[in-house]
Amino acid sequence: MTSRKAWRSKGLLSVVALAGTLLAAACGGGGGTSNKTKATFAELPGSAPNYILPLAKLQYFSVANLTQFQFLMYRPLYWFGKDGTVQLNDSLSLANAPQYSADGKSVTITLKNYKWSDGTPVTSRDVEFWQNLVTANKANWAGYSPGEYPDNVVSTTVNSPTSITFNLSQAYGSYFFTYNELSQVSPLPQHVWDKTSASGAVGDYDKTSDGAQAVYKFLDQEAMSVGTYNTNPLWQVVDGPWKLKSIDTTGNVKFVPNPQYSGPVKPKLAEFDEVPFTAESAEFNLLKGGPNQPNSVDYGYIPYSDAMQKTQITNLGYRFEPWTGWEVSYFPENFTNPTSGPIFSQLYFRQAMQLLVDQSTYINKAYNGYSYPTYGPVPVRPTSSFVSSFEKSNPYPFNVNAAVALLQQHGWTVNPGGVDTCTSPGTAPNQCGQGIAAGAQASFHLEYANGQASFDQMMTQFKTDFSKAGIQINLSSNTFNTVIGNAIPCQAGKPCTWDMEFWGVWVYSPDYYPTGDLLWATGAGSNSNGYSDPNADQLISATETSNSLQAMYQYEDYLAKNLPVVWMPTPYLQLSAINSNLQGVDPQDPLANLYPENWSWSS
Amino acid sequence: MTMGPTPQESALSIGPIAIAPVEAPPEVQDLVPAYETRGVWRLALDVFLEHRLAVFGVGVVVFMVLFCFIGPLIYHTNQVDSNLNDSFLAPGAGHVLGTDQDGFDVMGRLMVGGQTSIEVGIAAAFIATAFGVIWGAVAGFFGRFVDAVMMRLVDVFLAIPPLFLLLFLASAFQPITLMTLIIVVAIDAWLIPARLVRAETLTLRTRDYVQAVTMMGGSGARIVFRHIVPNAIGTIMVNATFQVADAIILVAALGFLGLGIPLPATNWGRMLSDGVTFIFDGYWWLIYPAGIAIVLTVVAFNFIGDGLRDALEVRLQKR
Repeated sequence: MTSRKAWRSKGLLSVVALAGTLLAAACGGGGGTSNKTKATFAELPGSAPNYILPLAKLQYFSVANLTQFQFLMYRPLYWFGKDGTVQLNDSLSLANAPQYSADGKSVTITLKNYKWSDGTPVTSRDVEFWQNLVTANKANWAGYSPGEYPDNVVSTTVNSPTSITFNLSQAYGSYFFTYNELSQVSPLPQHVWDKTSASGAVGDYDKTSDGAQAVYKFLDQEAMSVGTYNTNPLWQVVDGPWKLKSIDTTGNVKFVPNPQYSGPVKPKLAEFDEVPFTAESAEFNLLKGGPNQPNSVDYGYIPYSDAMQKTQITNLGYRFEPWTGWEVSYFPENFTNPTSGPIFSQLYFRQAMQLLVDQSTYINKAYNGYSYPTYGPVPVRPTSSFVSSFEKSNPYPFNVNAAVALLQQHGWTVNPGGVDTCTSPGTAPNQCGQGIAAGAQASFHLEYANGQASFDQMMTQFKTDFSKAGIQINLSSNTFNTVIGNAIPCQAGKPCTWDMEFWGVWVYSPDYYPTGDLLWATGAGSNSNGYSDPNADQLISATETSNSLQAMYQYEDYLAKNLPVVWMPTPYLQLSAINSNLQGVDPQDPLANLYPENWSWSS
Repeated sequence: MTMGPTPQESALSIGPIAIAPVEAPPEVQDLVPAYETRGVWRLALDVFLEHRLAVFGVGVVVFMVLFCFIGPLIYHTNQVDSNLNDSFLAPGAGHVLGTDQDGFDVMGRLMVGGQTSIEVGIAAAFIATAFGVIWGAVAGFFGRFVDAVMMRLVDVFLAIPPLFLLLFLASAFQPITLMTLIIVVAIDAWLIPARLVRAETLTLRTRDYVQAVTMMGGSGARIVFRHIVPNAIGTIMVNATFQVADAIILVAALGFLGLGIPLPATNWGRMLSDGVTFIFDGYWWLIYPAGIAIVLTVVAFNFIGDGLRDALEVRLQKR
């Protein structure tokens, strides 16, 4: 009896203690800080940073690598994003506003007084170093567009250590050139990086094309080795507000303040961390634990499929803030695939596919309303004058019968629930089209980024809707980084079998003026599907030389009709859940930039 | 020269299946209890039927098989075309167990998913058992170097965490079809029957009837397949039922980890995994039905295994 009584007493004490703990935990829903000196940001599923060199190839050209990783350490020459709007931010730029000559054929840049983290000033030589590397290695750069930057910079003149002039091949619209060309320039530490091997001495190798290629080759190899970032001396010299403290190959990234940062806002936090997740459900589980647990996320996201949980999340001590991005969503069809490319090259076939995209259902059901229709290349949000009325209309509303009719009119035997077959090959208007043989089947493989339930739902419905018109979609999913890595144009001599890839959205950064010159101009560095259309090229070119909105409207209307990709509804960048005591986060930048140097903890 | 069965072999056999029914003389038949005239299988059946949980297990398995394979003929649902507009409908008229995130009817999905789970479970268990039995019997009968090599191989595979092996195999056998899923699970599951039968063989090979066949020049294959394996049938059958249960769990685990058959096919594990994604949204019907189906079926096969073990255990049979 005694032992039993003792047990009961201990049990009672335990229950009281447990209840107290639970009560304390429950009452802690105020986003407690506990004198926190660091903040944690949740990476999107499968999109861990994996490339540190600002001169990135297409397979590394992602928000995770650029705006949310490289930009924290290596500041672009001109910073875009100000007070939650898409505009040049003079305050955060490394140079004063560009001065265009009267004839518009040259532009002079004057650098401010910035320093690298080793104390060396950021000079025009660092800009020239960037320019030389980009010029010699443009084929490897996702920001390249043939005929445009860097082709259109015929020479550079270093006027002084703080001044450099770009001499242009023709007059450009200042808006376009600043927002899409100068926006991509990123001074690089020439005094550290201008070498061709780890043990080699720093020189002026970049001043010859061969030398610049050798330097790039070396830097690219080093940049692909994420596991060496922590110790590689190359990456220790930065000009941004943050320095890399550590990173691992799974995506755990820790930044510490760069004490030499010369910008106007110095970091207040002692550390800024980014943490990886393989699936959004894992992140959400952590979020559900509240902001007071040891490994809590301070700046995370609610999956679209769990959007109805926002009240519970806010009750835990988070602010719920959908993050609007300067972005469009689409997935590319591979025009360069020898088998499926000829089919995708037919406008009627692309129109049929677009007619099978039920955007309304995706928005309401897969994204729980946190998405908006997208029918063309210019972002609908944030509101801007760039969007034409035609793009806002829906040129190809969801209509299975219309899609079936289109296919039948062009020589396809439609087999709903099965696979359509080309039974009338040839190039006449009522035939399948050039390069499509008799018996060709409308069966394609679509790989999409995994870890997001909304994508799973959307792709499953997509497959069903396409099958109603006899277009067979074979689905598979992979990590975000793998999907964007696969979505590159086929190259001679290399295996290339992808038909369609869907990773989510394209954020117009650092091509802030949404002319699509990086995306859909023939041979552009980010033209992932090899789209090529002379009319589109001409219209894109017109947007570059004129500040006129009409040029923009003509371009976007044409691409809305011509369908270089399959347009998909554009979701918010994320449904952010931010620790209610974390200050300085708002407004969230539509260009997907992070400003942890602005962040601080309220008491 | 082909060796046929000899009268001596039959006379010497003492294993359970070699026992011939004993006919009592007519004059004493009235005095002998009826059960004494029954064959060994009938005796086993009697013991099995006394195991109430085993009988319950059989009932559940029969129900699940009917539910999964006959059910779709009665309860018609579209399990091929998703319909997002019908997603997450609560149980009610039209959808007895509601709909899932893709708008599929959950009851219908349970039937389709159950077909995969049961088919893969039984087929993988059959393959794993057959292969494991042969492997274990050969190793146990031949012994020495053969035994050492074969069983060390088993030990090596056993040393690998099953889930790791399963994930590796599932990744290697892409794209996953019903057949590859069966093979993957079987590769992971044959080790236990191999060890059990090998142990059984070590005792059986010393029996007189095995020695007799050996002395008469019976081949190793003949001894293994005609004498060792049949006399280990009790162990094999019991283990086979457990193998089915384990295989269903493995299929569920693979499905849970996203390595099942691609949509629109599914299995209970994948249903459970999909449901867990929405665990915070109150859609209980995405989790409970699939979870209960897995638990019920696995427990049922385990009960059957328990019953069979009792039934085939000679000491528990009434004579």
